[in-house]
Amino acid sequence: MKKILGYIITYKFSAFIALLLMFIELVVELVQPIVMATIIDEGIVNGDMRTIITWGSVLLALTIVAFIAGISSSFFAANVSQGIGHDVRRDLFEHIQFLSTQKIQKFSTSSLSTRMTNDVTQIQGFIFMAMRIMLRAPLFVVGGVVMAFTVNVNLALILLVAVPILFIIMFWIMIQGVKLFQRVQKKLDSLNSIFRENLLGIRLIKSYNRSEHENQRFNASNMSLMDDNKQALRLMEITMPVVMLGMNIAMVLIIWFGSIEISVGGAQTGEIVAIINYATRIMGSFGVFSFLIMNYSRGKASASRISEVLASPVEEAKNSESKVMSNQSEIQFDQVNYRYPGSRVNALSDLSFRVKVGDTIGIMGETGSGKSTLLKLIPRLYPVTSGRILVDGVPIDTLDSQALRKEMAMVPQESQLFSGTVFENIAWGNNNASLQEIIQAATDANLHPYIMSLPNQYETIIGQRGVNFSGGQKQRINLARAFVRNPSILLLDDSTSALDAKTEASVLNSIKSKSCTTFIVSEKISSVIEADKILLLDHGKLIDQGSHDYLLKTNTVYKEIFKSQQQQGSEL
Amino acid sequence: MMVRSNKNNQNTDSSDRQHLQPKRPSLDKIGSTLKRIWQYMAEDKILFYFAIGFVLISSALSLLGPYLLGVAVDLLVSGVNQSALLTIVYTLVFIFISHSIVLWFQNYWMITVSQNTVFTMRNHLFSHLQKLSLVFFQTRSSGELMSRLTNDMENISRTLNSSVIQLATGFLTLIGTVGVMLWLSPLLTLFTLLIVPLLIWGMNWITNRTGRYFKEQQKNLGDMNGYIEETLSGHQMVKLFSQEERVINEFNEKNLRVRHSGYWAQVYSGFIPKVMNSLNNLSFTIIVGVGGVFALNGMISIGVIVTFSAYARQFTRPLNDLANQFNVILSAVAGAERVFDIIDEPEEEKDDTSAKSIPSIKGEVEFRSVSFSYQSDVATLKNINFHVNKGETIALVGPTGAGKTTIISLLSKFYEVERGQIFIDNHDITEITQSSLRRQIGVVLQDSFLFNTTVTENIRYGRLDASDEEIVRVAKEANAHSFITDLPNGYDTVLNADGGQISHGQRQLISIARAMLANPAMLILDEATSSIDTITEIKINDALKKLMHGRTSFIIAHRLNTVQRADKILVLEQGEIVEQGNHSQLLNKSGHYAALYHSQLGRTMN
Repeated sequence: MKKILGYIITYKFSAFIALLLMFIELVVELVQPIVMATIIDEGIVNGDMRTIITWGSVLLALTIVAFIAGISSSFFAANVSQGIGHDVRRDLFEHIQFLSTQKIQKFSTSSLSTRMTNDVTQIQGFIFMAMRIMLRAPLFVVGGVVMAFTVNVNLALILLVAVPILFIIMFWIMIQGVKLFQRVQKKLDSLNSIFRENLLGIRLIKSYNRSEHENQRFNASNMSLMDDNKQALRLMEITMPVVMLGMNIAMVLIIWFGSIEISVGGAQTGEIVAIINYATRIMGSFGVFSFLIMNYSRGKASASRISEVLASPVEEAKNSESKVMSNQSEIQFDQVNYRYPGSRVNALSDLSFRVKVGDTIGIMGETGSGKSTLLKLIPRLYPVTSGRILVDGVPIDTLDSQALRKEMAMVPQESQLFSGTVFENIAWGNNNASLQEIIQAATDANLHPYIMSLPNQYETIIGQRGVNFSGGQKQRINLARAFVRNPSILLLDDSTSALDAKTEASVLNSIKSKSCTTFIVSEKISSVIEADKILLLDHGKLIDQGSHDYLLKTNTVYKEIFKSQQQQGSEL
Repeated sequence: MMVRSNKNNQNTDSSDRQHLQPKRPSLDKIGSTLKRIWQYMAEDKILFYFAIGFVLISSALSLLGPYLLGVAVDLLVSGVNQSALLTIVYTLVFIFISHSIVLWFQNYWMITVSQNTVFTMRNHLFSHLQKLSLVFFQTRSSGELMSRLTNDMENISRTLNSSVIQLATGFLTLIGTVGVMLWLSPLLTLFTLLIVPLLIWGMNWITNRTGRYFKEQQKNLGDMNGYIEETLSGHQMVKLFSQEERVINEFNEKNLRVRHSGYWAQVYSGFIPKVMNSLNNLSFTIIVGVGGVFALNGMISIGVIVTFSAYARQFTRPLNDLANQFNVILSAVAGAERVFDIIDEPEEEKDDTSAKSIPSIKGEVEFRSVSFSYQSDVATLKNINFHVNKGETIALVGPTGAGKTTIISLLSKFYEVERGQIFIDNHDITEITQSSLRRQIGVVLQDSFLFNTTVTENIRYGRLDASDEEIVRVAKEANAHSFITDLPNGYDTVLNADGGQISHGQRQLISIARAMLANPAMLILDEATSSIDTITEIKINDALKKLMHGRTSFIIAHRLNTVQRADKILVLEQGEIVEQGNHSQLLNKSGHYAALYHSQLGRTMN
């Protein structure tokens, strides 16, 4: 919460004005019962019409002042809350962009997106309220008791006893409430993650006929959310009956002792009326409390969830000696180990190899042998656990990651599209690309003729997650995106798997004509047969490296793979 | 570039808007939405009536309290009569205690009712979602759907908790208060009620403005949330292409728009409590000022002023509550509308009434002149004809976009055939229920989907009553066992949906194990082996061969080595079957297939 409240500083002027206006309102409301007492005791009891009219006008004037103050405060309070909401979202979004891939996966994207949306809205609502009523309610309670003392000390003592007791009860409920609402929030998260899974995996769920199973799963999660929610809300609902009971009894006591005071001449009727009026209003303020507590506890839970994201360290502290990469791009792995967080075994162990500028490197191995992981180490999507990766002799962890990645382009295993046009999706690789360059890249990816066959050609809108494109088309858009970047290092993570053989051949051909250093992860020897060097991985270890011909002669495993693929090709 | 992207953003905006705000909510619509919410609440009708009954009692008690306080004050003024005062004091204490108890009960019951309502709505929404066709999910953005399912439901939940009681109490107290006030002093009541026209006018002025901005805010929020979803799920691409700057800028544009509309929505809605409060103060001024004059003339007693000043608060408080809740209620109703929009979404083409569930299928499949299109203007499949005998393996070959996946989707009844017929064991599939059909089809999809749970549970998805031993057995068969045991917690490792810990191929192996466990009569392998390395693929192919034995299997694969053994190969191009036959027949034809085959073979042999 502290961290979030720090955002107020930007809006301290607005916040100050809003609080000041709130304070004016508060004073007006505190003065009202005293004016009332004066009207009763000096006006009505003494039969003085002029006093009634004078003080009546004063009351009216005060009301107008309070109205103006109240209305104006809305502008300032909204400015603070919307401003803070905006700033928090901005910082969150920016921060998330620089979190490491591992961190993002740990948070899970669904949780991050709720934090950015729901939680921020929660905070916004809380701040708006805080500006306008949160401080007012407790201040009014305190102010009311103080004012009651100025009216009649003996009777005010009753309030002085009742109010702190109620305060303590409220405080206890608040602490419990915060805990319970945090639990509710957790349950809500897991419910939402079932929703999300069902949105993403609907095809599988339908194929397996598992609607009933999913319904049950959801039902169970929903039920436990409901139970916790009920418990939390019921606790909160204790507050109002308790507070009302406390304050009402206090009022009865005021009347009872008031009658004694009057009989001994220690109090006047107007005073009693005024103190009862204060008590009524204090009760009203307490009434707002449970509302405030609920908002506070939700706000606090949200704030801590947001702070958690903001507090997690970004990928790397920008290195002071960060250099811009030369675009020679000779790459060397020096005893590199990588282990996924929480895993017991190394995904990659003791990898050492060297790649010359402009070479094409094939990476082969069984599923799970670490091919993709190896590829992701180069743009530092994952930081090495130990060892070094050098580009042109410079360890990559001394380089600014943006500068490092500027020279690279990667085509991931699972194609990624963004909503927008085809043009924009390709230009994602290079913001400054001209239409000519985009077309060239699309042509290299064997995609241009298809795009031209679309009604809007390059301006065709891609729906979210590319629903209107087939797997192969998505893959080719991703390839074109990489080509348009004109990278000095090209990383292909089995990126031609969804292409038919003809298309794949032509794409590989256009890659061959480029001068960049290329890494090709593949399962097919045909994709890497012309590579300058093939790295053969097995369970995260580099078991052999060399050209196709060399491996074919010396490596039995490679020979076996080749034979099997060749056999399949010529079996019939 | 910037100008251009702006223009396009607006394009996407407007299409999003159509999703988000299909219709402008009218008063009628609000009424019918509320009615539908009531239908859910009606399940706890009795509890609800009890709660309302208690609201009635608590409202009456809340009228009695201030009245007796006023009487007590008058007693004080007229000189102290200890015994009369004592009676009133005892009565007051009794009233206040009962009031608190009644209040607690009404809230307790109302929470039960509202939470049950939300529970049922959520369940209904979720189970309805299960019944929607695939097309629905493919045409909606998941971010926007998520927002409906989560934010909107949460909104409804919160509003139901507080608002219903407040509305009921408010209404009753309002009527009661005005009644008692009239009885005490009609003239002073008239003066007090002067604020009502002011109130109505003020509220009208405000809601005219808030409504507009809330709608705009909702639209901007939806847009922003969609963007967040998208960039989060594509975060690796953002990083790799160093597009952080760009997405941050685009996000900030959307963020600013949210801020702007949010600002005005909040400013105007922020007027409401202040207006209420000021009217409160005004009525207090009137009661004290005018009441003072009346009291001087002996028309009323001081006690009446006390009672009135307490009543005036009671009388404006429900209005105040209502006003405080107004935005919440409005946005909850809007949320409920969006939820009902989904619930009203037509279910996946239901089975024909004549459709029967068939307990087991043999697996003879025939497509007769089948045509289908996703969009009415482009035909995805044109006049597809083929016949498959029980137990045969059929390979679908062709360039991407040729319609291979669509054929198997039609077979699983994901989509309705447009023209032509599909027969399974000589039954038209429109006469077979979806569930009995799908129960007998196992699938392994190109994008393997895993649930955020343990490996064991992910495999068990294929057959829910499978024992742990069976799961290990199929995992071994699918060659997944060895890598699973390497995971931190073996079979109990919780996989996350983003799939960070295991490779694409490993995910695929789990999917295959899942399909093996299902033990289906027919099998669909949609690019199932595209990401599996050759060594594993050989082993898997052996396992699959066993699995496919005696089962009709459809295989989609780009790599021809996996399709050579098929009994029949269908070569598709642009939604049409251009060739069919087995491997050697097609090679002899020297057509499309032969060309495709030689190009792949050539590259391997090179």
